[in-house]
Amino acid sequence: MAAVRAARRLFRSFSQVKNVQQNKRILLRCSVRTFCTEHEDNALSHNAKPQFTDPAVQDILSRITGLELEKVFRPIKQELKLPEYKLMTDEQLNQERFIVVREPSGTLRKASWEERDRLIQVYFPKEGRKLTPHPIFTEENMKMVFSQDRHEDVLDLCLVQFEPDSSDYIRVHAATYEDLEKHGKYDLLRSTRHFGGMAWYLLNARRVDGLIVDMLKRELLQDAVSLVSLFHMVHPHSESAQESALQQATGTDLLKIYAQKESQRSGYIELALQALEPAAAEESTAT
Amino acid sequence: MAASLQGVAKILWRLTPSALQPLRIYQHCVQRLHPRANLSPVFLPRHTFCQVASLQDEGAAQAAEALSRYKEKPWEYLESEEYIEKYGNNPVWTGYRRNHKGGIPPQKTRKTCIRGDKICGNPCPICRDPNIIVHHQNVKLLEQFISPYTGVVYDPTKTGVCMKQQKKLTEAIDASRGHGFLPFQIPYVDFTKENYSNSHDAVGSTPPPASLTSGESWYKWYDQITPDESEVTKVKKKYKAYLK
Repeated sequence: MAAVRAARRLFRSFSQVKNVQQNKRILLRCSVRTFCTEHEDNALSHNAKPQFTDPAVQDILSRITGLELEKVFRPIKQELKLPEYKLMTDEQLNQERFIVVREPSGTLRKASWEERDRLIQVYFPKEGRKLTPHPIFTEENMKMVFSQDRHEDVLDLCLVQFEPDSSDYIRVHAATYEDLEKHGKYDLLRSTRHFGGMAWYLLNARRVDGLIVDMLKRELLQDAVSLVSLFHMVHPHSESAQESALQQATGTDLLKIYAQKESQRSGYIELALQALEPAAAEESTAT
Repeated sequence: MAASLQGVAKILWRLTPSALQPLRIYQHCVQRLHPRANLSPVFLPRHTFCQVASLQDEGAAQAAEALSRYKEKPWEYLESEEYIEKYGNNPVWTGYRRNHKGGIPPQKTRKTCIRGDKICGNPCPICRDPNIIVHHQNVKLLEQFISPYTGVVYDPTKTGVCMKQQKKLTEAIDASRGHGFLPFQIPYVDFTKENYSNSHDAVGSTPPPASLTSGESWYKWYDQITPDESEVTKVKKKYKAYLK
């Protein structure tokens, strides 16, 4: 835990000088990342709906993501280079550009988002981004890559290539999460920066059953409980949320209520809970 | 006219067999390159060339078949017995040695091994085996030319390939990475400092200004301007002497 906090402090204290060569696959980025809220439903005006960026939500998501040190700090293929130091000024990171387009008919109009991104990439190229996106983002290629279990690579490439607002970004992420959910391969993303995003997507689509089942299979009770509590936060008007608010339930009771009210695979969840109950009881008595 | 034509035909008939002799099929060349054009002119009887032509056709057909078999699916060759017999588990370029003067090899390998019909002596590892096709889906072959520790493409001086094939290789590796066949290390992107909002002044339509909506023109002086009567009389009085 102390190591985790130390790592967090180390990488949050950003000075303007960055060592470009550092291996930054530390997943805790997801806790500091800001996000636009396009792929959620229209926010309710009353009862401000919790956003992805809320600290409470982020806390829960980062806890669920887990920290598998072997996976996070695995060796990567990297070129043997001397460290490069680059000074990044604010102007270089600036996105405030007014771009207008003159059409052949003579009308002058503002550029669309895609045109803007393309032109900004031409004049202020970002590392790793290409002008025409990789052909990996087409349907067939994505299917092929998913069959090779390389969802993480696709998501990383998507992050590099597209702006978080763009339609391609949303499409690729949605396709990846759908595929993961269809095959139940949640563990692929477990210690990566993408787990929170996937959990959030499933929460908003109300299809957390698969994820909870997977967590129970791997005996991650605490994670399952926090996921259900997050579900209640996000959907406060659902039956299970109201029930648990009435009963002030905590821990495995939350899971039981959720299993009864909301989920379609309630049988499996209850069975798993029964199997894990002695373990849970031990934990609660020990702590 | 007919007699002279027949005479010409006879002469030609005698000449062409000698031209047809050097039809030994070179193992590498003919397989790789375009099949030899049919030499027999129109007015010669075909039955005299039956035997030679049939052998020729068989050989060409076999070669063409081999070419086409791996042309469609070049990755199959790397699992065939032929390949394993030749190379085993080693990469395709093991054991190849460049021929050059002196102890230090030139910084660039030769430009190309095959020029038109001719293949040079000691061709490079890719050119010497016509079944090895550089294709972006041929991942096993491409991986042999990338370092397993750094992910960097090997220099041609190390592998011995000619410059033309090296260029094709790098293009194929890029395409392969782009399509997702070849896994590679993706650069890390940091999101902390940027805030993303959906709306930006530079995108989307601006509302038209009030003057346009109310029906007035953009600039006042675009409209018909009628001057004030009193002002006009004053000015006329002033310049009365100059007015007609």
